Amino acid sequence: MRVNTRFQNTPGINLLTDDQCEEIYLAALEVLERVGVMVYNEEALTLLKEAGARVKRNHVILPSYLVKKALSTAPSRIAIGNRNGERAMFLEKGRVYFGSGSDTQYTMDIGTGERRLVVKQDVVNAARVIDALKNIDFAMSLGIISDVPPRSAYIHQFEALLLNTAKPIVYTAGGREDVETILAMAEVAAGSKEKLEDNPFLICYAEPTSPLVHPREAVEKLLFCSQRRMPVMYVPALMLGATGPVTMAGALVVTNAETLTGLVIHQLKNPGAPFIAGGAAPALDMGTSLCSYGSPEEHLSCAFNAAMARFYNLPSFSTAGCSDSHLFDQQAGMEAGYSILMQALAGGNLIHDLGYLGAGMTSSLEMLLLGDEMAGIARHILKGLEISKETLAMEVIEKAGPGGTFLGENHTLKYFKSAVYYPGLLNRFDYVRWKKEGAESFYDRATRKVREILKSHPPSELPSKAAQEIEAITAKIDNTR
Amino acid sequence: MSIEELCKAVERGDQEESKQIARQLIDGGVNPLNIISSLTEVMESIGDKFSRLEIFLPEMMMSGDAMAGVVQMMAPQIKAGEAGSTKGKVILGTVKGDLHEIGKNIVKLLLESNFFEVKDIGVDSDPVKFVKEAEAMGADIIGASSLMTTTMPHQKEIIDILKDQGLRDKYKVVIGGAPTSQEWADEIGADLYCPDAGSAPKLMAELLKIKVR
Repeated sequence: MRVNTRFQNTPGINLLTDDQCEEIYLAALEVLERVGVMVYNEEALTLLKEAGARVKRNHVILPSYLVKKALSTAPSRIAIGNRNGERAMFLEKGRVYFGSGSDTQYTMDIGTGERRLVVKQDVVNAARVIDALKNIDFAMSLGIISDVPPRSAYIHQFEALLLNTAKPIVYTAGGREDVETILAMAEVAAGSKEKLEDNPFLICYAEPTSPLVHPREAVEKLLFCSQRRMPVMYVPALMLGATGPVTMAGALVVTNAETLTGLVIHQLKNPGAPFIAGGAAPALDMGTSLCSYGSPEEHLSCAFNAAMARFYNLPSFSTAGCSDSHLFDQQAGMEAGYSILMQALAGGNLIHDLGYLGAGMTSSLEMLLLGDEMAGIARHILKGLEISKETLAMEVIEKAGPGGTFLGENHTLKYFKSAVYYPGLLNRFDYVRWKKEGAESFYDRATRKVREILKSHPPSELPSKAAQEIEAITAKIDNTR
Repeated sequence: MSIEELCKAVERGDQEESKQIARQLIDGGVNPLNIISSLTEVMESIGDKFSRLEIFLPEMMMSGDAMAGVVQMMAPQIKAGEAGSTKGKVILGTVKGDLHEIGKNIVKLLLESNFFEVKDIGVDSDPVKFVKEAEAMGADIIGASSLMTTTMPHQKEIIDILKDQGLRDKYKVVIGGAPTSQEWADEIGADLYCPDAGSAPKLMAELLKIKVR
């Protein structure tokens, strides 16, 4: 070993310097003290007022010391379990996890590519595929279920996930009532309230309405999760030039002011409760009026906010693997590919929306498989360069000698699987063999693999008693709404 | 100063200049109804250009603002009923649980500058409110906007309530907003889906079988 040597073991990108982060943070504080925010929730208004904010009806002027205090009590790490009671994800600085997206209205039918409304079986299928995929770490529903009563759609979505995958779940919900129901279902799966609290395997998703408005339901979710000390994320989605400034720095100021307001409300309710930051500022295409999920701005903004979360010492939620294309085509592959690698390098903890087509309107299991493959490649790249006696391989270089071969060496045998990435879906046949094996396109292979998983992956089921109890909760909700 | 110059100022989205030229035209004895008629054509062509991706959203909005400014300024000059009666009465709002209103406000602006009478019931509007307000106004159209896939089901609820109350045939229900689509309109039984704000006045006039010009 040599002394005083520095290696970069793992790569990463940090798009903001500490001074740039501070500049955004200070500007966000100024917005909170000067412009203020709108909060449509009585309990939150009372909490804010008692803590020292100036509250006039729904308008809140937030002094910066409240933000500082909230940042000091919020945990910088959150451990997330899985349904089996094991630890699954550590939301800590520099650890990245991948997951699907949630609320698309449509799904792309497997194999046919036809776009149609999502039904409950689609979410069941999505959960089973997610359960089988190596690089998908957490599950979101990949659809809003259309064949159940609209007011209980979230409950059905959660049930379909809970009963078909053991992986951690990020769930959407209408308001406090939905979260209460979903936590009750999760308790059944975990075995008890205490077991769930000791190792929560689910995270609630909530979002403000940009610019600077905090709706009743979103704040309800924040407050209730805080009270129960269950993880919740508060994720602004600002459209550049429409619901926020068109320039990225200004957009970051607004999204950060929103996230920090959510954090203050959340920490006032129950200091130390787990909170996840994040947020995106996608482009609104001023020609077509589409809010773009594939735009470089979307992915830059996520990477910027991942840097902001690091600056705050908070876990973060991010976006990648999604496309504006309505087909499973070259655009879809390109937008998913670059964004997954970029967000992996940027280091946000929870990277979601793998499997999204049509600018967040359509889910696709083929697209999810593409995301899984790309996430595998990204993970391989994130390993960086390990330098050790074994990896420098001096002995085997000497043994093989000039003109020699490494194929028969023990060193090769020992390391070839970890040193090289083996794709599951990418073509690595030569032309003749590829023709012989059926000349499949990437799409063909993805469809075939989705079908294989649905046919042969053993579903991660709960014991039947627990499953029945959970289904009974859903049925009760259907009957009362 | 000519009506052509006024049209150009509105197209450029220069509100101050538009008002100034309109003022001069009226003082010079030009019939306000002629001005309105020309500006209506301008707004239509702006809507068309937007649909063809020739101009962008902020440009269309600036023109709409300029047009609205001129119409507002000329209101005293136009005697009631003289400008031709309104093309239709519209209740316009963003559905429950949704606080997004930029799109709805653009539609309102463009409808008003195309001589619809619009009552804006704001954001986070309960389905029942849409129906009540429509009854109170004697509206022809109920327009419901939604920006989130999670709030879209409330568009359907408006239609369900109309059906329950036996009012379905009394109103045309129009939906719009980024996540909505023709398929969704068909699915929930809406009368019209407007893909963008620029096309809304024309499509809504056609829905009420009124000639645009």
